[in-house]
Amino acid sequence: MTDRIVGLLILAISITVLVVARGYEVGFGDPLGPAVFPQMVAVLAAILSLGMIFRPDPDPDWYRGTVRSKQLATLAVLIGYVVLLEPLGFSLSTTIATALLAVLFGAEIRKSIVAGVCVGGCLYLIFDSVLGLPLPLAPAFMG
Amino acid sequence: MDILTSLMDGFAVALTPTNIALAIFGCFVGTLIGALPGLGPVNGVAILIPVAFAMKLEPGSALIMLSCIYYGCMYGGRISSIMLNIPGDEPAIMTTLDGYPMAKKGKAAQALGISAMASFVGATVATIGLTFFAPLLAKAAIYFGPADYFALYVMAFATIGGVAGVNPIKTLIAAMIGLMLASVGLDPATGTARFTFGSYHLYDGFDPIVSIVGLFAISEVIMYFEREANGGADQAVPLNKGLPKIREMFAGFSASLRGSFIGFICGVLPGAGASLGAFVSYSVEKQVSDQDGTFGTGDPRGIAAPEAGNNAASGGALIPMLTLGVPGSGTTAVMLALLISLNIQPGPLLFERQPEIVWGLIASLYLANVVLLVMNVPMVGLFTRLLSLPQWLLMPVVIMVSFIGIYSISHSPFDLLVMIGFGVLGYVLRKLDISLVPVVLGLLLGADMENNLRRALSISGGDFAILFQSWIALVIYAFTALMLALTLAMARRRPKRETI
Repeated sequence: MTDRIVGLLILAISITVLVVARGYEVGFGDPLGPAVFPQMVAVLAAILSLGMIFRPDPDPDWYRGTVRSKQLATLAVLIGYVVLLEPLGFSLSTTIATALLAVLFGAEIRKSIVAGVCVGGCLYLIFDSVLGLPLPLAPAFMG
Repeated sequence: MDILTSLMDGFAVALTPTNIALAIFGCFVGTLIGALPGLGPVNGVAILIPVAFAMKLEPGSALIMLSCIYYGCMYGGRISSIMLNIPGDEPAIMTTLDGYPMAKKGKAAQALGISAMASFVGATVATIGLTFFAPLLAKAAIYFGPADYFALYVMAFATIGGVAGVNPIKTLIAAMIGLMLASVGLDPATGTARFTFGSYHLYDGFDPIVSIVGLFAISEVIMYFEREANGGADQAVPLNKGLPKIREMFAGFSASLRGSFIGFICGVLPGAGASLGAFVSYSVEKQVSDQDGTFGTGDPRGIAAPEAGNNAASGGALIPMLTLGVPGSGTTAVMLALLISLNIQPGPLLFERQPEIVWGLIASLYLANVVLLVMNVPMVGLFTRLLSLPQWLLMPVVIMVSFIGIYSISHSPFDLLVMIGFGVLGYVLRKLDISLVPVVLGLLLGADMENNLRRALSISGGDFAILFQSWIALVIYAFTALMLALTLAMARRRPKRETI
């Protein structure tokens, strides 16, 4: 079933590519233009997607419960980290993200806070001072 | 003889104090990453590429350090295979077959010694092969026209999954996904913005490094929880005291020589790479020397052959990557991404225009082999201790280093979001048994493939017949057909296993 859904998705994307690419114009001395190659790829992808739709493999084991929630929580932490990286500054956001991830990967609360502080501090020192990468240090609201 | 002269020039480049220091550092870090369970060479090199940029090294030095990391990862991978029965990457699977049983018998140090020796033999044979064959192939490749290059790319995609893939259709789909992703961004020839949906962030397309770190490292993190739920990691076998004796390390020396030659040939073949090298070396060795059924129970030759084959194949795989710009495996694809991001265009012209880079690289591989052997035998205790590092510390550190690395390239949070997106994509593809390597290849080679096609057709004025007019292209297509046939035959015979 999963194969069929993904196959249909690929088919839909390929058709979208074919349609969207029709709007691209051909340049001078370039008989193929920007549209033909993506269209060739899309046609092949569409044909191959039929293979997935009509001859699907057995479904993979999708995990539910704790595993699924941990996976989603990890993604949420990662996205939150990216969003807050510049507003909160590097050290603070890295400390928080590392601590949260450590909890997700099974550490005790106290250990994970220590890990967060160490990792946040060490990485800042290594990247900013030793490697000379300018990282946003302080939270933006502190100037 | 000019090969030897060039090689000497290469050593002159590699043996500057800075480069030697970088090589030793690279070997050390590489072994460390390779030894950590779950992080294969692809992840290791991909995560550290941005870090190498951050160090503001010259292209040559960065290349030397990262290839030493690459070789080091291949070396380190055997440590978790032997001690934990967890292969760091696909080629290392064959090493677990005899390595883990031998370690369980209380001979872990010997097993590690034998595999270090075999890796050295394999990698050295491959580097010698690379020294002599790569320039020949580069000379031949000068005659390639755009149509021939297009044929070459077709061959790369048709054969890559081949041996590695489970379901050939899915492997080809993976390549198409990669090619589609590659066409996002401004078209260099006409300036048309393709598939950007009006977002300026997408005008530059997807950075291969961002995509690779996302596809491999981030998806690995998401996958981790499932593996943990499936019973988690095994306990590491304790390392017995004392260094292995020199005599013990030479056990299975002839097996490593046989494995090296087989592995090297597998590595040079397009689309085969290290997995096949290790697999074929082990099977052949089993046919040749397993008279009393000791294979699979900790036979030294069963460790030596696949380890040599694996390392020889990854060296051999550098030949098509350097001379033609067509990588044959996941790790060489990452090396290609690295070259491209250092503004070095691999291909036949590389040997003429930037000989100091090619030969410096080759010389540093010789250096890396020696350093790794010397470093690995006495320090193996340190590396094995790393295996007991808790995952709750390791995983967050790996994630944070990859995020900072990517952020340091562009200072754009958008790139980080793209990376997470690629992580989810990689996770879904892996769940569906779709190999990630063709996706990466598509992303890396898509633009060149299209350029060569367009160049060929602008020569012919739009006539597609030009693609089949040169004999070079025809030979390549014939070879592609042959490999595809072989692939289908192999796909039936080989058991299903996890895609990496």
